[in-house]
Amino acid sequence: MTPPLLQLEAVEKSYGPVTALRSTDLELKEGETVSLLGPNGAGKSTLLRIAAGLAAPTRGKVKLQGHAHDRQAVGYLGHATLLYPELTALENLVFAGRLYGVQATEQRAEQLLEEEGLAAVAHRRAGGFSRGMSQRLAIARARVHDPRLLLLDEPFTGLDVPATEALTQRLHDLRNQGQSWLLVTHEVQQAASLSDTALLVIGGRIVQTLSGAELNAETLGHAYKLALESRS
Amino acid sequence: MNIALAILWKDLITEWRARDRVIAMLLFSLLTAVIFYFALPDQRPETLRALTPGLLWTAYLFAAILGLNRSFALELENEALSGLALAPGGRGWIFLGKMAANFILLSLVQVLTALAFAIFYGIDFGSSIGELSLTIGLATLGICSVGTLLAAMAVRTRLREVLLPILLLPALVPILAGAVRATLSVMAGEELPFSAIQLLIVIDGIYLVVSFLGFDYILDE
Repeated sequence: MTPPLLQLEAVEKSYGPVTALRSTDLELKEGETVSLLGPNGAGKSTLLRIAAGLAAPTRGKVKLQGHAHDRQAVGYLGHATLLYPELTALENLVFAGRLYGVQATEQRAEQLLEEEGLAAVAHRRAGGFSRGMSQRLAIARARVHDPRLLLLDEPFTGLDVPATEALTQRLHDLRNQGQSWLLVTHEVQQAASLSDTALLVIGGRIVQTLSGAELNAETLGHAYKLALESRS
Repeated sequence: MNIALAILWKDLITEWRARDRVIAMLLFSLLTAVIFYFALPDQRPETLRALTPGLLWTAYLFAAILGLNRSFALELENEALSGLALAPGGRGWIFLGKMAANFILLSLVQVLTALAFAIFYGIDFGSSIGELSLTIGLATLGICSVGTLLAAMAVRTRLREVLLPILLLPALVPILAGAVRATLSVMAGEELPFSAIQLLIVIDGIYLVVSFLGFDYILDE
C-alpha cells in the first residue's frame, strides 16, 4: 500500500504555555486537495508551518510518503509572499530555484512566469507589483521546484474580486493537473469548490471532516457555524 | 554549496540596488574617524600612529554591528527568512552565504575607512599592507561568523537592535584583543605577533564550525 503523501501523527505544538495545536492526526494522499477552515487562532497556520518544516512539532511525527520530512517535497505560500522587492520577478524565481537545486533554473523561472501570466513583467522589480501580481509570483515561487505538495496559507487575503477569480481558476487548473495541496482559508465557498476534503479546525483540534457528497458550500457553512457555536 | 552561493549573489545584488547598508556603515566609520581626529589632544604623528589601531577597530566594530543588524532585518520583509528556512538540506549553507555577504560588504567598508584614516591621520598603511590585510581579514571572518549567527538569533525578537550588541560584544573580546594587538605591532614597524594570529585562527575556526552547525536550530520556530 502506498503511504500517504503527508501524514501527521499525534502532532502537538506549544509556544511556551500556549498550546497552538493539540494531538492532531492528518493524512493527505497523492493528488488530493484538502482545505483547513477555522477561526483566527485555531491552529491552522501552525499546522501548515509544521507540515512545511518551518516549525518543529513539540510532540508527534510528520512524515512525507512514509519517510522523515523533506523540505524538497513541499512548496509553501504563507501570509507573506517570501519575495525580495529589490529583485525582479525573474530573479526572485531564479534565486528560489537555486535554493532548491533546480536544474536549468532560468528556463523553469521563465516557464512559470509564462504560466502565471507574468512574462511581460519578468524584468520588473517585485517591489512595484500589485497585490494580485505579487501573489501570482509567490505561487510561482512555491512551485519553482515542482513540489509534490503545495501548502497555501490564506492565498486569497487582500486580493480584489478579479484577482481572486484569477487565482481560483489557477488553483482549479493545478488541481486538474494532479497537484496536491493543503489550503488554509476562511472562505467556505472556496474550500468547498477547491478541495476533495475539508477539515474544520477549532481550538487547536480537527473537529470535523467533510468530503465527497457532503462537501458543498451549504453543508460546510452549516458545519462551520455549528462548530463555532459549540466552541463558544 | 549552491545555496550559499545563491544567497551570496542575492545579498550582493540587493545591496547594490538598495545601497542602504554599506552607506550607513561607511558614514558611521567615517564619522568616527573625523570626530576622533578633532577630539584628540594633539595631532602629532606619533600620537596619531599610537591611537590609530584602537580607533580603527572601534570604527570597524560599530560598522560591523550596524551591518549585521541590517543583514537579517531585510529578510523580515515579506517573511523572506521563512523562504530561506524552507530550503532543503542543512541550514549551515544559509549561514555560509549570509556570512560571506557580510564579510564582503564589511571588507569594502574597512578598506574605505582605512583610506579615510590614511588621509586624516597621515598614516602610511602601504609598508605593512600584507600583514594588516591578514590581521583584518582573520578578525573580520571571526566577527562575521559569530555575528551572522547572533544576528539570526536576535532578528525575531522585539529588541533585536539592542540584543545583537549585547550578545555579540562579549563574543568579540578575544577577536578584538588579538586584532588590536597585531595591528599595534604591525603599525609600530614590528613583526606580526604569531600568538595573536594563532588566537584569531583558533577563534575563527571555533566560531565558523559552531555557527555552521548551530544554524540548523536557529531558524526553527
